[in-house]
Amino acid sequence: MMPRRRARKWLRLGRRIASHAVLIVAVVFALFPVYFIVITSFSKIPIAAITAQVLVPKVSQLTLGSYQQALSGQYPAFTSLLENSLIFAGSAAAIGMGLAAFTGFALSKFNFPGRRSLVYFILIISLFPSFLLIIPYYFMFAKLGLIDTYPGLIIPYSAGAVVFAGILVKNYMDSIPDDIEEAALMDGLSRTGAFFRVLLPLCYPVLGLAAFLAFVGPYTDYALAHVFITSSAKETLALNLYNIATTDTGASNYGVVTAFAIVMSLPIVVFYMAFQRYIIGGLTLGAVRG
Amino acid sequence: MTGVRLENISKQFKDSTALEDVSFAVKDGEFVVILGASGSGKSTILRIIAGLEVQTRGHVYIGDMLVDEYEPRDRNIAMVFQSYALYPHLRVYDNIAFALRVRKVPREDDPDRYRRRTREEIDDRVRRAADLLGIGDTLTKKPAELSGGQRQRVALARAIVRDPELFLLDEPLSNLDAKIRSSARLELKRIHEQLKQTFVFVTHDQSEAMTLADRLVVIDHGHLLQFDTPENVLSRPANQFVASFVGSPEMMFLEGRIRAANGGFAFELDPVRISVRGARAPGPVTVGFRPWDLTVAKTAGPGAFPAVVRGIERLGSSDLLFLELQGSGAPGAPAMSGVTVRAMSRAYEYEVGDSAGVTLAPDRALFFGADGDRLDELEGAPAGP
Ligand SMILES: Nc1ncnc2c1ncn2[C@@H]1O[C@H](COP(=O)(O)OP(=O)(O)OP(=O)(O)O)[C@@H](O)[C@H]1O
Ligand SMILES: [Mg+2]
Repeated sequence: MMPRRRARKWLRLGRRIASHAVLIVAVVFALFPVYFIVITSFSKIPIAAITAQVLVPKVSQLTLGSYQQALSGQYPAFTSLLENSLIFAGSAAAIGMGLAAFTGFALSKFNFPGRRSLVYFILIISLFPSFLLIIPYYFMFAKLGLIDTYPGLIIPYSAGAVVFAGILVKNYMDSIPDDIEEAALMDGLSRTGAFFRVLLPLCYPVLGLAAFLAFVGPYTDYALAHVFITSSAKETLALNLYNIATTDTGASNYGVVTAFAIVMSLPIVVFYMAFQRYIIGGLTLGAVRG
Repeated sequence: MTGVRLENISKQFKDSTALEDVSFAVKDGEFVVILGASGSGKSTILRIIAGLEVQTRGHVYIGDMLVDEYEPRDRNIAMVFQSYALYPHLRVYDNIAFALRVRKVPREDDPDRYRRRTREEIDDRVRRAADLLGIGDTLTKKPAELSGGQRQRVALARAIVRDPELFLLDEPLSNLDAKIRSSARLELKRIHEQLKQTFVFVTHDQSEAMTLADRLVVIDHGHLLQFDTPENVLSRPANQFVASFVGSPEMMFLEGRIRAANGGFAFELDPVRISVRGARAPGPVTVGFRPWDLTVAKTAGPGAFPAVVRGIERLGSSDLLFLELQGSGAPGAPAMSGVTVRAMSRAYEYEVGDSAGVTLAPDRALFFGADGDRLDELEGAPAGP
């Protein structure tokens, strides 16, 4: 009796150690590049930390010089880049999310002929690599005089966001029982009123997620921005990151590139943390049934 | 405060008929219960009254007003959903106040113009409704934090706070456990007496229907079978389905025949013979009765079925005997052997295996024709008012 129980205890401990080991390896694997970028950005030697083979730098080897250079030594100015990126990504997130809310509502709560086919059609579009759209977009927008303008990028970014976010919102709304909307109709609202006052607030979590995804895409986009933006006044952070990583001399300053990348990622982190509370602090639909 | 009237309502869904020619009128202030099995069309009736579903044929009147073309919000009806359908993102207080904030009221100085209710008016009403239902201490909680009983009260509070023309309640008690269910029933009855408003209440629980209803609508597969008081539905069921669906203990049925006798018609199930009003032709018939309609004696006298006691269930005040009928053995008599009936009797006089005689009280027996309709009903007034 005793020995067997003890053996089971050891087995359990062994399993726990093994699973933790696997998790630790996974975390190290995922976080190492980030750590590597961080120490490179603080390093006095302007070459990649791996080349210097310094994995745990001494305090005396650290400097904020790369950050200074990244924030002030650039042309165009960092603030202008940030502003452009926020305009593009912010507009795409706002427009995309707004349209997605209506799209999801229509696809989920209205019965109209061809609804199912429309859902499949949108799903297929969302699988289409957006990369392939760049060339037709370019010709179309050149005709419309939209190259190197804000709308010229905001429109395709928003369109891309509506496609996946619309499906996301639809799926979420499907999980909201119809009688919640019907209760709102009985309480004196029109369908539009019920949408704005009941369904939309219930969808805040998924809209937060949709907005986040719709923001990150354009914020980090290089391909489309590279084709559509020709003047440095409209240059974005992502474009500039590429430019400083490939200086003409060929001798990239890894310290500056990594520092720039870290500063650039801060808004995403902030955005994520702001919405995370929403998503997790969750409005539970469990309230519906007893 | 008004009544509601359904006129020849039919509802067709894509591949099924949910309602077929349903008509009934609920009087002002009446508590009407719609009773039917699952899928019989109860919710569909409520949803058509509410305007959430559009009937395929027929008309709905609220008071004297034809409301077929009215949106749900213009019908001024409060509905308690089977699932309660509370707004999960709003606190209990805001759930109850929701309709008050949405709906405008006529202005005192100019009744043709409307104004929003003031914060004080809303607060006053919400608190009164919450007090009436005893949920004053849950007002700051979200629905997810409430027990089933509390949610049901919130759903009721959300309905009564509004002063609607009409209350529709779709099995509001079905999610409650048996214990709070019976007290919730009484409470609902009390609220109805207090508000004196018109209630249409849906349930598939016949004892719930019996206790709550002023009048009862029995439906099955989309057909209205009977619309009458609970007493009449019990004692004068319109047909065999209603008879078997309502009342406890359950009604028993035996097959027999009607024959011409003494210028009228009589039911014959050897050795029993009972004259039947309302019969118009000889033919097969079903007789229905409940355990207390049978008298048990030690010996089978004339007109009594010979039987053997097969089981005894002691219920305290009166006991239930399970009796296997023996049949008389007379030529041409239906083979009654093996049919077991239940009878109320003093069980201590019997033991399993004893033989006995069972007599059916002639004035208590109900007769149903081959189509299931009760026979006296053929002559008498049709069911309902
Ligand atoms: N939206 C709908 N589309 C198609 N058929 C429907 C729809 N709503 C109801 N039905 C059908 O109509 C019939 C009646 O449904 P209803 O919901 O009124 O029944 P019920 O008496 O309320 O049942 P329950 O006690 O289970 O709630 C059922 O056969 C159901 O399948
Ligand atoms: Mg139902």
